[in-house]
Amino acid sequence: MSQNGSVLIIGAGIAGMKAALMLAGASRKVHLVERLPIIGGKVIKNEESFPNMECSTCMVAPVQQAVLQNPDIETYTYSTVDRIDGGPGCFSAVIRKKARYISLVDCIGCGMCFDPCPVSLANEWEEGLMPRKAVYVPCSGSLPNVPVIDASSCLHLSGKQECSLCAESCAFEAVNLDDSDQVIEIEVGSVIIATGADTFDLSALPNLGYGILPSVYSPFEFERLFASNGPTQGEITLRGSGTVPRRIAIVHCIGRTEAGYCSSVCCMYSFKFVRFLRHKLPEAEVFNIHLDVCTPGKSYQSFFTSLDDRDTTMLFTPSIDDVRVTENGPSLTLSYPAPDGNTREIEVDMVILAAAMVPDRGLGEIAQMAGIQLDRHGFVMTVDRESGSLQTSRDGIFVAGTAEGPKDIQNTVIQAESAAGQALEAMSAAAAVNKERASGS
Amino acid sequence: MRAKVGVYICECGPNIAEKVDIDGIIAGLSEFDGFGETELVVKKYGFLCSKSGREFLEEEIRNLGLTHLVIGACSPRDHDSTFKGVCGRTDLNPYLYRIINIREHCSWVIDDVEKATEKAESYLRGGIARVLRQSELFENPIDVNPDVLVIGGGVAGMQAALSLAAEDRRVSIVERSDRLGGRALELSGLSSGTFRGSDIAAGQVESVMGNPYIDVFLNTGVSSVIGFLGNFVIELLSDEDGATTEISSGAIIAATGCAVYDPSLSGSYNYSDRDDVYNPLEISRMLSSEGGVALRSGGRPENIALVHCAGRDELNYCSGICCGVMMKTALLLKESIPGVDITEFYRDICVPPHEGRQLYESVLEAGVDLVRVESAGLSGTTVSFREKSGVEDQRSFDMVVTAPALIPSPDTADIALLLGIPLDDTGFFQEAHRMTDPSGTTTDGVFIAGTSQGPRGILDSMRFARASAGLILTRLIIGEKLVPEVAVSEILEAYCTGCGNCLEVCVYGAIYSDGSKGVSVVNEAICRGCGNCFGSCPSGALRTKHFTNTQLYREVDEALR
Amino acid sequence: MNRQTDTEFTPKIVGFLCNWCTYAAADLAGTSRLKIPSTFSVIRVMCSSRIDHNLLLTTFFKGADGILVAGCHPGDCHYGEGNYYARRRFALLKKVMEVLDIDAERLQLSWISAAEGHRYAEVVGKFTEKIRELGPNPIKGSTRF
Repeated sequence: MSQNGSVLIIGAGIAGMKAALMLAGASRKVHLVERLPIIGGKVIKNEESFPNMECSTCMVAPVQQAVLQNPDIETYTYSTVDRIDGGPGCFSAVIRKKARYISLVDCIGCGMCFDPCPVSLANEWEEGLMPRKAVYVPCSGSLPNVPVIDASSCLHLSGKQECSLCAESCAFEAVNLDDSDQVIEIEVGSVIIATGADTFDLSALPNLGYGILPSVYSPFEFERLFASNGPTQGEITLRGSGTVPRRIAIVHCIGRTEAGYCSSVCCMYSFKFVRFLRHKLPEAEVFNIHLDVCTPGKSYQSFFTSLDDRDTTMLFTPSIDDVRVTENGPSLTLSYPAPDGNTREIEVDMVILAAAMVPDRGLGEIAQMAGIQLDRHGFVMTVDRESGSLQTSRDGIFVAGTAEGPKDIQNTVIQAESAAGQALEAMSAAAAVNKERASGS
Repeated sequence: MRAKVGVYICECGPNIAEKVDIDGIIAGLSEFDGFGETELVVKKYGFLCSKSGREFLEEEIRNLGLTHLVIGACSPRDHDSTFKGVCGRTDLNPYLYRIINIREHCSWVIDDVEKATEKAESYLRGGIARVLRQSELFENPIDVNPDVLVIGGGVAGMQAALSLAAEDRRVSIVERSDRLGGRALELSGLSSGTFRGSDIAAGQVESVMGNPYIDVFLNTGVSSVIGFLGNFVIELLSDEDGATTEISSGAIIAATGCAVYDPSLSGSYNYSDRDDVYNPLEISRMLSSEGGVALRSGGRPENIALVHCAGRDELNYCSGICCGVMMKTALLLKESIPGVDITEFYRDICVPPHEGRQLYESVLEAGVDLVRVESAGLSGTTVSFREKSGVEDQRSFDMVVTAPALIPSPDTADIALLLGIPLDDTGFFQEAHRMTDPSGTTTDGVFIAGTSQGPRGILDSMRFARASAGLILTRLIIGEKLVPEVAVSEILEAYCTGCGNCLEVCVYGAIYSDGSKGVSVVNEAICRGCGNCFGSCPSGALRTKHFTNTQLYREVDEALR
Repeated sequence: MNRQTDTEFTPKIVGFLCNWCTYAAADLAGTSRLKIPSTFSVIRVMCSSRIDHNLLLTTFFKGADGILVAGCHPGDCHYGEGNYYARRRFALLKKVMEVLDIDAERLQLSWISAAEGHRYAEVVGKFTEKIRELGPNPIKGSTRF
């Protein structure tokens, strides 16, 4: 097989996009594969990012635009990688483009197909906090701004009944209900895995009431609740009752015991939530039930210490595992062990659980497909660590961002840049080896 | 030559066509007499962004001999680059084209067809008037030097050099001290992960010294830096003989490392040189020395206190690596001094995810007494502390190990000044953007790596170095030219009084003073075209190409007509 | 063309929007099909710091009843700190406006991020209402430029 200088990047979050732009800047062909119908990753779910409380969309949208407009980046949304064969300098990979049923070329993103669709279900991207249709874009401001039809809920595609209202409403003939998966084979010189991470599954801890008590929120649910382009347009109101919360508890370190590590970002996003609440609900009382305050790096602790008693009451507990949240009429009772050994209770009307960052739930499958090993926590394992390498257990395949372990945006971007540099280095090395072999034999 | 402006209105299916009376606009624009002698060609098309639409435009430009192009369609954020591309395939300079957003800002937000039509026509008139005032601008590719200067010969600097050299870049490493290796060399007893810091550094030194692409200047500082991405000239000054060497490079990586906080500066740590109070680096040295860990009096310590977080309150940041270092120190002390009692006073456990719980548990297993405190102080080797429950106590030990924070190395501020990059409020180098561009700086071509940007461990420092190296490898390509931003600022020499206001406000350092002429000059290779300098100029010498006031006034005129 | 009746004042408002944040918010307002008064005209600039006194005063002299300058939130500037400069220049210009007898309320500086499509529509709507209350710009055309 001939030498190939192009790169396959799996995952179009901030890490994948940054690496793609760098490599395209060096005139490398990049194949960027994203399983969601949109690019941007998890960062765009946040209205603002710590510590500067910077608007995430303002930060990421130019990056998304640059990726979509770059002629050297082939972006495959709503796609997965089925197979990676070969080795450094000469991988061949199979990309499966799932049927989108909407043409990326013809659709102009006018959104006229949404209204006619008779199906309504919870929008996963919006954490189920608002409905979507079977034909939908995950969020307002989606890029690419082209909907997708979810075949499992679409009446027509699931075979429940004849319906083509979306196709009829489209002035551009962009809807193709006969669309099918496409399989594309590409050749690349290196691969970067940048598939991101998930948050800890809160339903595993019934003592905290998540999924049972509507006023108990996951971190991303709260992010979307705060987001001006989210389900409530940024109004913080409680699920179900629609009332404005007055007493809010943020519980730290959720899933730390189970995961076996500290994710090092949860304290920071918890304090960000305090800022959000102070900004939107200045009258609300906010409690942080915490264990260790972990704010590593030069700019994080000052973000914490800039909060004062009016912003939040810090309540230390030696055992997060013993925190309980129970229903108490219209509100909630949160009990926790205090340092003196006694159990204390506070009454609140909203609880936000600062869940750990855990390996993406699809990572195991990707690792198996790519033939790479995971570490004991289930993140992608790197080898040759003493050189700061992001090489995985398979030569020529690198990892970047939270697929490698929990981290903040800054370190995610540093890893993306690092992996892109290493991918280049590895391809030259492979080229040199292959050339030597060719001349030697 | 008489201008001939092609105005093409995209129907965008029903998105524009149904909300805006396009034929009415075509008629209105054709009748409008505000453009003097200019000839207008006004047409509509189904989808201008489609392949056929683009080909149609190309043919129109060629066949009709258009001098300017105005597209009435969607947001420039969607398709500006599409139509710039169309111009690029013809002889029409892309800066004589303008896209007017009559969809997002008009047909989608105004329900009334009449009002939307009026608005669209007004926007288009503004676009035509503006484009007539636009000038051709040309890309000006510059030759670049692919070589790199690395300031600092620690693990970050050496890793950056090795990564660059692997891609055939010539690298010069400038190191202030008399050896390569930096702080990691002192970590002979301590490990990072399963590796000794000193082994990592020693391995790198060997690779660097044997690499034909890397030149090393020891006992040398940097005395001047001029230039920009692709073309820097740097003067090196030898500390030994005062000799200067001039080198040129296309990029610079500042990897000047960090220093360690002096706990005795903290009001709560009172001890002197006679007390057995050490930091982990000193313990590491003792561990690898023949005598091992010993008290100043000569004996072995029977009990040792490890006190976390020295400088955390004073500096108002957590270095993020000390907890891990302290736990490893505890394990090593336990191993090297049989029977020693170790008490670790900590405030918050902050260990990187990879180390995880395992480290914490092995410390517990080794029998280290972990005491969580609200605060702790020292008086000699006596530790006074307050527990979370509020209980205050004090205990005396034979030896105390502190966990001083990482602070910027002493020459960070000088280097920042030389390179024209800012420091943040912690005194470390400030990134170009904290999140989206952490390895860059406000001076394009100057990159940062390792602990010069902030506290971090050895492996993270090396990854950071690879990131900066990676950026250089993708920005400066051997044999390729660099194309700077075209729509930049310029200073009209005749009007410039040389007051220097614009130099002050430019965050990129893109403006310099030409002393011989007494004027300020924009370096177009650096300018990004934000236009901030424009408002600072008292004499009207500044012009922001492609966003001149004349151009903007034409848009204003039509908006207000 | 059919214009408004004489009795009803239709304010003419110019919005100078920064390319990176507020212009994107205006696009989002569009894709979300929010309503923007047709009397509001958008002019795109790369950074709010590009807007100088001359441009703003001339726009008033040319007859704008109100001007909205909107850019990224402080700390979010695409160019580092451009919007801080914009803010400082604004404070100064407001004083100049008093001297020139232009109600300082006619000029508004707002920070609207790319995600704030709804806020954009709200700010433009409210500002339009405010200008409607203030009535026509008294200095329109009083100086030739």
